[in-house]
Amino acid sequence: MEIPNSAMSDQARQCAAEEELAALVGQYAGTLYRVAFSVLRNPSDAEDAVQEAFLRVLRHRDSLGEVRDQRVWLIRIVWNIVLDRKRRSKTRPETDDVTELARVLPAQGLSAEQIASAAQHHAHVLACVDRLPAKERQVLMLSAFEELSSVEIASVLGITESSVRSRLFRARNLMAGLLNHARSLR
Amino acid sequence: MKYQGQDDLSNDSQLGSAEATLRLIASLPAPAGLEERVQAGLRAAPRSGRVLAWPAALSLDSNWMRAAAAAAIVFVVAGGGWGVYAHVQPGQSARGVAVPPHVAAPAGGFSNSGAMRTPNTLNGPLAPHPATARPPAKASVKGTARTTQTPLRPGKSGVANKAVPPPIAPAAK
Repeated sequence: MEIPNSAMSDQARQCAAEEELAALVGQYAGTLYRVAFSVLRNPSDAEDAVQEAFLRVLRHRDSLGEVRDQRVWLIRIVWNIVLDRKRRSKTRPETDDVTELARVLPAQGLSAEQIASAAQHHAHVLACVDRLPAKERQVLMLSAFEELSSVEIASVLGITESSVRSRLFRARNLMAGLLNHARSLR
Repeated sequence: MKYQGQDDLSNDSQLGSAEATLRLIASLPAPAGLEERVQAGLRAAPRSGRVLAWPAALSLDSNWMRAAAAAAIVFVVAGGGWGVYAHVQPGQSARGVAVPPHVAAPAGGFSNSGAMRTPNTLNGPLAPHPATARPPAKASVKGTARTTQTPLRPGKSGVANKAVPPPIAPAAK
């Protein structure tokens, strides 16, 4: 029995797409997790978001070859997923709790008192970040990823590079104001 | 005493520590086994996201299928347009004047030559004219009794006046 060429090429194409997808998982799962965690601040939610992002990629695996920058494309997918999740669940992030934050963040070689103090400081900073306007907050959070340039941040957010710079400038000013205000209240 | 430079420095240090926090969160390591879990999730996911699994030959990736679909769409649109055009008759504008149907003349008779019958205008009720006393004519004989006469209306001939009925006087008891 002769197998038609089209069926064979379809199978071969599917196999190639699945191999490419597996390679993407190995290469970018960690990056996507960090992006998701920076917004959701919950390990299991961040993992779910990564899973959902790769499921979306699986649905569009045939068009993987058309993607120019796969890393930015994947970050954009997971970014949209986490923003959507954050919008839907209005609950407090788990790590707003200081003890939970201390558990999640690395604290090697620190005493218990230092760990608690650092966790309190981080929680305070994150609370200030949450008070920023959405546009400025998003740029500030993405700028914390050292592997993302301003051009890539612009691509993820769908804005121009100059907008990224101006939003980052505004975000820093607002953050400084918020931190100052909190310090003067103490 | 605080200087502006001191404020700037403290602002910068605060901002720096805040950005360090964000960088710390952004550089958190992924939990162990994340990749395996994601791979397992992808393997468990259904292969096809579509409700209907089209055969490979009919998939929209093939060019001839695209061409056939495009031709079908063009055919449907053009056919629909032609159908509408064929059913709508041109020049169906509303007419203000209704023309009566042409009545054929009876055999051997005359036609009405397109003449139309217009109904007569109804005459409204005429107001009774009060009876006015006519000044006595000079030629009248003295001592004769006064007679009531119908007053002459301007612009009307005497013949026409005769046709007008006299005003109705209340019946004397």
